Amino acid sequence: MIENLRQIAQQTAWTRRDFLRSAAGAIGYAATSHVSPLHAAVRQQGRKTVVVTFGGGARDVETFAPSGQENIPHLIQELIPQATFCTQVVNHGILGHYVATASLATGVYETFDNFALVAPNHPTVFEYYRKGLGRPPNDVWVIAPSNGFNRIGQSSGANFARGYGAPVILPKHLLNAALGEHPNRGAFNFLLQDSYEDPMSTPVLGHTDVPLSRLTDVLHLSVEDFTRHAQTLSSADELSVYVMRQLMRQFAPSLLWITLHDMDVAHAGAYSLYIEGIQRTDRLCGEIWRMIQNDPEYHGRTTMFILPDFGRDSDMDASGNGFQHHRTGDALSRTTWMMALGPHIRQNTTVNRPLDSVDLVPTLGALMGFQTPGAKGRTIVEVI
Amino acid sequence: MRPQDLRAKSFAKYPPQARAFAVANLAVLRQVPLSLLPILLREMIDYDWRFPVEQRVLTRQFQYLASLPQPSFANLMAPFAAVRLPAAIGKMDWVNQPQRFSEQLSGLLWSMQQMDAYRAAALTYQKTLEQVLVEPVPAISRLSIVVIGQGVPHSDRVLFRKLRPHGTIFTKVQPEDGMATLIGVVNDRAREHPAPYAHWYIDGGEPEPGCGLPQGVTLTSYHALAPAALKELNLTSRFVQQSSARSGVGPEAVQSFMAGLGPSDLGLHGDPSQTALRHFEVNVLTEGAGAQVFSTTFVQWTAREALRRAQPLTLFARFAPRQRMAPMEELLKRDPLTQKTDPEGSLIDADMGAYYTWINQQRLSGADRSCFLAWYEGHDIAVAIGPGLAKGTVSDSPANLRKIVAWMS
Repeated sequence: MIENLRQIAQQTAWTRRDFLRSAAGAIGYAATSHVSPLHAAVRQQGRKTVVVTFGGGARDVETFAPSGQENIPHLIQELIPQATFCTQVVNHGILGHYVATASLATGVYETFDNFALVAPNHPTVFEYYRKGLGRPPNDVWVIAPSNGFNRIGQSSGANFARGYGAPVILPKHLLNAALGEHPNRGAFNFLLQDSYEDPMSTPVLGHTDVPLSRLTDVLHLSVEDFTRHAQTLSSADELSVYVMRQLMRQFAPSLLWITLHDMDVAHAGAYSLYIEGIQRTDRLCGEIWRMIQNDPEYHGRTTMFILPDFGRDSDMDASGNGFQHHRTGDALSRTTWMMALGPHIRQNTTVNRPLDSVDLVPTLGALMGFQTPGAKGRTIVEVI
Repeated sequence: MRPQDLRAKSFAKYPPQARAFAVANLAVLRQVPLSLLPILLREMIDYDWRFPVEQRVLTRQFQYLASLPQPSFANLMAPFAAVRLPAAIGKMDWVNQPQRFSEQLSGLLWSMQQMDAYRAAALTYQKTLEQVLVEPVPAISRLSIVVIGQGVPHSDRVLFRKLRPHGTIFTKVQPEDGMATLIGVVNDRAREHPAPYAHWYIDGGEPEPGCGLPQGVTLTSYHALAPAALKELNLTSRFVQQSSARSGVGPEAVQSFMAGLGPSDLGLHGDPSQTALRHFEVNVLTEGAGAQVFSTTFVQWTAREALRRAQPLTLFARFAPRQRMAPMEELLKRDPLTQKTDPEGSLIDADMGAYYTWINQQRLSGADRSCFLAWYEGHDIAVAIGPGLAKGTVSDSPANLRKIVAWMS
């Protein structure tokens, strides 16, 4: 409408092209990827994969753009130097957190109601993995942030034989069950909030039927230890990472998927809280990578992928309200990034060609050696 | 019902002015595709308490549509006509519940992967209207003033980072009587250019005296509306509990419930001449996520909506410390005015809010002449943007706020 806004929009476009160059400038030279056939021939057996979704919803401008890099010191300084970094990953699907994460997990843009408690329609990567490699249930786990995600582990079954799904663990549900009639239950509410986007119709968890045996049998934690540790945490995502650590110790699953979600507090419109969420997620990504490196079951054989489910609305789109939501479907809200780290991954390398969010599943299949016939994406050859 | 089935009696439940407007434009309405029509009706159904600018814009829009030759009209509507909608949605009462229809439509567009096409159609439609229905440049330059940082005695943050490239940073502002000076500027403009809803004062806390209705300024504040916000949250919570007991409730149902609330539901009464403002305040609280619980969100969202809808000549927005973050469960239930505050976090919120306010002002007519000032309350730093000031520069010369305002235009 007016020149000022047009110029800013152009700057935003520049940012997307140049942000990695700028980020790379902070760490030194970053090579552009060239695929090596020998690299792809590395033996796949024994590999483990951890997928971290940098959710829910982060924009370039608060992360890899020059003005945002101060919010992600762990990604910039610790992880990118070891990573192959894909600078353009576009989500062409529905920009709701559950349906988008489900799409990441199936390799197909799911079209169900984001707020419905339904399973993905298409086979998940967890089913492909277990069936393809004949793996037992405990070799794959999903750690999910909220009630809406609890059916992400297995598809509805229409396109795939049932029984190959991943167990999904909802740390908030576990904590809720552990708290029971805890006298100071209210003090834990900030770890139990299920949704920032729709807090009125998804209030804090009430009593659920999650059996406490899951805590003791699966995580080998006593109720007392679990609640005591929860008291030291400041966010739901920290609780998720704590549960992840327990799962790694108990089962050392070969495919582990964790969805972080704190930054979705942006829906409340307070920019400072959104930034805090990003900074915490950045710190947790660094922590997860260190957990992997310090665990002999994982060290030297684990590939970690980090990617947002999608971005948030542009400041310049009049139909949105900037960072607060992800409703416009504009380019900024659809375009994100992905990084891959691990012993078979080229370090300090960028992939600048546009990728698609649904490319993740076939890439995991190629990396770990199983077929993903229903996935619509294409293998990202630069990371296999 | 199909659009072509609309009759005058279809609008019997509309308020008087809205009904008259709809009936007068019936011929146009009958030709608009269903994927667009309820969006227009959303504007129309509230006609009686729309701001004068909004009424004028809506009138001009329909005059334009009515004036189009049939092929041009069909061409303009073609992208919307191409949207595939399931038959079930046409059975909704989209005439009387256009808001609800819009929410359903949004979900459908996403799930049917038509959102991108619809978005493109909407942008094209909007662009066409903007080109044809050019809003007149205001008689005086628009001015927005944003005051941030109340309650933060010292900050090491680099403030106004996003605004700096567009104007001049003043590092030696004389802060004495700053608020009184700015209120004087606002009141002077309201006195010299009186018009309904043309001059606004939005405060995130308790408003300063001497700037409001008697001065010709539209005033709204978080302090005044927090009880209404709490009432809204209580009503909604009760609705959710009752609905959940029956069959569960989804976000669309919650939104529809909130959209049905009016000023009297929230205890918002007052001068009958301010009916449009009361409805605006209800819209702010029911449509603005977070505006109920955080005063910083309230100010940013209210400023955005005031600029978008009322297109004021003057907007004065002052941020105040919001309550501290807490579990949503608590935020939605407690009185925000009696909680401990987070001044430092609020400063960050407000800094971004100032940037968004400038962006929203720049969307209005006369943007190249518009002026914008953001000031760290009680401190010596401000950023000023206007045709009279250089971009991306720093002024270390002592100056008071009245002078800076004068230099902008």
